[in-house]
Amino acid sequence: MTVTSIAPETVRSDPERTRRRAEELFDPDLSPVLRRLGQRPRGAADAATLHPDDAAARADVADMLVELGFLAAGEAGPAVADLVEVAELIGSALYQSPFLDTVTAADLLAADPRYDALRTEIAAGERTVALAWREDGRGEPHHPAPLRLDAAGRTVTGVRRFVAFAPDVDLLLVVGRAGVEDRLVLIAPDAPGVRLRRQDDIGRGDLYEVTFDAAAVAAPGSGPAGERYPQALARARIRHAAYLAGLASGAIELSAQRLRDRTAFGRPLASMQALAFRLAALAAETTAVLAFAREAAQRADRGADVRLAGAQAAFLAADVARTASAEAVHLHGASGMTEGCDAQVFYRRAAVDASWLGTPTGLRIEAARLLAAGYAAEKRD
Amino acid sequence: MSTTIERDPRLTVAQERFRDDVRSMLAEDRVRRAVDDVAVYRPDQEAAHLDVYRWLGARGWLAPGWPVEYGGLGLGPVESAIVTEEMALAGVPDDVHVLSVDIVGSFLLLEGTEEQRRRHLPAIARGERIATVLFTEPDCGSDLSALTTRAEPDGDGWRLYGSKIFNMKSRFGDVALCAARTTDSGVGMHGITLFLLPLRSAGVHIEPVPSMANDRFDLVVIDGVRVTRADVVGRVDDGWRSINDLLQLERTGIDFHAKARRLLDLVIRRAAQTGRLDDPAYALPLAELDARLTAGRALSWQMVQNLAEARPDPVASAMAKWYVTEQFRPILHTAMEVDGLDGALSAWDADAPGLGRLEAQYRLGPVHRLASGTSEVMLYLIATNGLGLL
Ligand SMILES: Cc1cc2nc3c(=O)[nH]c(=O)nc-3n(C[C@H](O)[C@H](O)[C@H](O)COP(=O)(O)OP(=O)(O)OC[C@H]3O[C@@H](n4cnc5c(N)ncnc54)[C@H](O)[C@@H]3O)c2cc1C
Repeated sequence: MTVTSIAPETVRSDPERTRRRAEELFDPDLSPVLRRLGQRPRGAADAATLHPDDAAARADVADMLVELGFLAAGEAGPAVADLVEVAELIGSALYQSPFLDTVTAADLLAADPRYDALRTEIAAGERTVALAWREDGRGEPHHPAPLRLDAAGRTVTGVRRFVAFAPDVDLLLVVGRAGVEDRLVLIAPDAPGVRLRRQDDIGRGDLYEVTFDAAAVAAPGSGPAGERYPQALARARIRHAAYLAGLASGAIELSAQRLRDRTAFGRPLASMQALAFRLAALAAETTAVLAFAREAAQRADRGADVRLAGAQAAFLAADVARTASAEAVHLHGASGMTEGCDAQVFYRRAAVDASWLGTPTGLRIEAARLLAAGYAAEKRD
Repeated sequence: MSTTIERDPRLTVAQERFRDDVRSMLAEDRVRRAVDDVAVYRPDQEAAHLDVYRWLGARGWLAPGWPVEYGGLGLGPVESAIVTEEMALAGVPDDVHVLSVDIVGSFLLLEGTEEQRRRHLPAIARGERIATVLFTEPDCGSDLSALTTRAEPDGDGWRLYGSKIFNMKSRFGDVALCAARTTDSGVGMHGITLFLLPLRSAGVHIEPVPSMANDRFDLVVIDGVRVTRADVVGRVDDGWRSINDLLQLERTGIDFHAKARRLLDLVIRRAAQTGRLDDPAYALPLAELDARLTAGRALSWQMVQNLAEARPDPVASAMAKWYVTEQFRPILHTAMEVDGLDGALSAWDADAPGLGRLEAQYRLGPVHRLASGTSEVMLYLIATNGLGLL
């Protein structure tokens, strides 16, 4: 398949250095604490408030991510190759925040120079952004839901669901189809005409339904998503694949420890080949997916077309994240089901995160389409 | 979709009629309402003393295989399987039924004294008494031979000391079948005895253990409760054998299959409602899972037939339990493909499709491969007794 160059210049990266720095933040001792931050009680619905300690701890980590320079942009934004390292560690710690959404928003906003000032603020950690592209849970981000802008493009009416951290961010970046093109619209979550409702989901996290009733579009107004959109989405999927690989390896590590600690039939469960091999196979799969994400990230940073790789890495990573987290519960036995055990936290999070940037089936359909288009183009060449 | 379960050529006319009767009762509005109520219970509520059990019990349908004098209908394993299957297909929570009727009731029928049977079986069969199972301990689950709950001699009886965990419904139970060590012989399997333990005794402390599923586990701490020979089920020191014999005998896969079928039907219905059933990307995996469940049901019913003919086959039973429970994970993953993130919304969210049942089932998903003998225990039985391996 021909590789089309999308960005004119190569983005500089130093993944090893980035990883070393990120590991200081997501160290193994801290991960169990990060995993639990912001978990609401079951069934808390929209009455759930975040414990102030959790909110403070989350904010501290968010500040660190900025201080470590992970948002700092060169001309074309932070390198994908650097961010996959950060995303993988975020995934294994299950740290939930607007960070990855904000990175993607900055990438999307690069489609229009009017947003440059905002991108500079984002890079400095002064603004956070949540993405809002789904009208319902079946929506796939590569087909943004319709959007109703008034004639002057100044207000928006409609609904977006599964918007993460909507009340906590500075801006919502609504992506939607208006007429024949996909558009980007910035709206402040506290603007008049914006209503937020927390959704009660299996991850018990920070997902919101956002209703816009002639809500004012924030400066500098709406812009076209443009040709950059599918590539920026693909770059987001590569980062998300790394996040999911991290989630899987976190679940595998937790399970390996359990097998070492738990005895049955007079010996550690770790000595039982049937169980050890299952974790070994999952570790191999996870490592392969992460290698895929890293390679795709390097290609993205060289300006290659990564739409196919983005979709593929994301569905492979989603599959392994779901399986590894389900195995984690199983290998813990009944205790894996208990609220006190982190195995079930991985399992519940994976249920949401596996479909975050497209369901694995939606991604497979997209990948098949791109594959066919690629071969058709090759034939023509 | 009405139902994917067709008339079974293996059933007699009377058995077919029995199924029709049970099915019509379970299709009544009051039952449907009760089932929907459970789906939207508050997070701190769980199903225990349900009226549905009493409605079934009033007709002798909770335990149709038991003799009439103990509250049954004197029918056989086929009718019992029909009730189990129909209850699960109708979405009636079945933990209490499995624990009280299928496990404790069966132990009492097979190994209990006449006095124990008369005291407990009729009340269980009426759906008025809950009997639970106290086998698993914090340090032993798969390997029950390592259990440490002690029965210390005390005059003509014993006093029980120990902790039992991951049992269900004990907070609502009246009596429990409790495995404890009467003799410390150095050989784990020897010296275990089964006792009927009154759960509402001064020395029994029960505490819920929150689970990611809707129903909580219980931790039961037993602190010196006195029991006598009259409370022993089966023979002293012979509990290991009876646990293994009975659990293998009761295993058909029928209950697990029916739960998986109800879930898959829900997913197929959602796919039809959302138009995704017309898309091969979704329809192909659903067709595959439908085939697997049809195979699983055929195998499970073969196990019931074997029991009816008094020719149980523990290896094939293990295969049935393993095979059908392995389908839950792919069904749940497919459900999340069909409904996308909507499938992740709980019953406590107004937008959740189908009263949030998918999300609740997703959280419950892992238990099927763990409860009633884990997948690995099933594979061990197949590999050793079936294939002569290991
Ligand atoms: C929903 C639910 C309801 C339950 N209800 C009851 C109840 O009412 N009463 C009661 O007493 N108990 C109950 N249990 C407990 C159940 O019997 C145990 O969970 C089960 O026996 C497994 O034990 P464990 O959880 O301690 O896992 P462990 O024994 O710690 O096993 C952990 C994992 O290792 C695997 N494993 C263990 N040994 C081997 C081996 N030799 N080879 C390969 N793999 C192995 C297991 O399959 C499992 O996946 C319930 C469990 C569940 C999930």
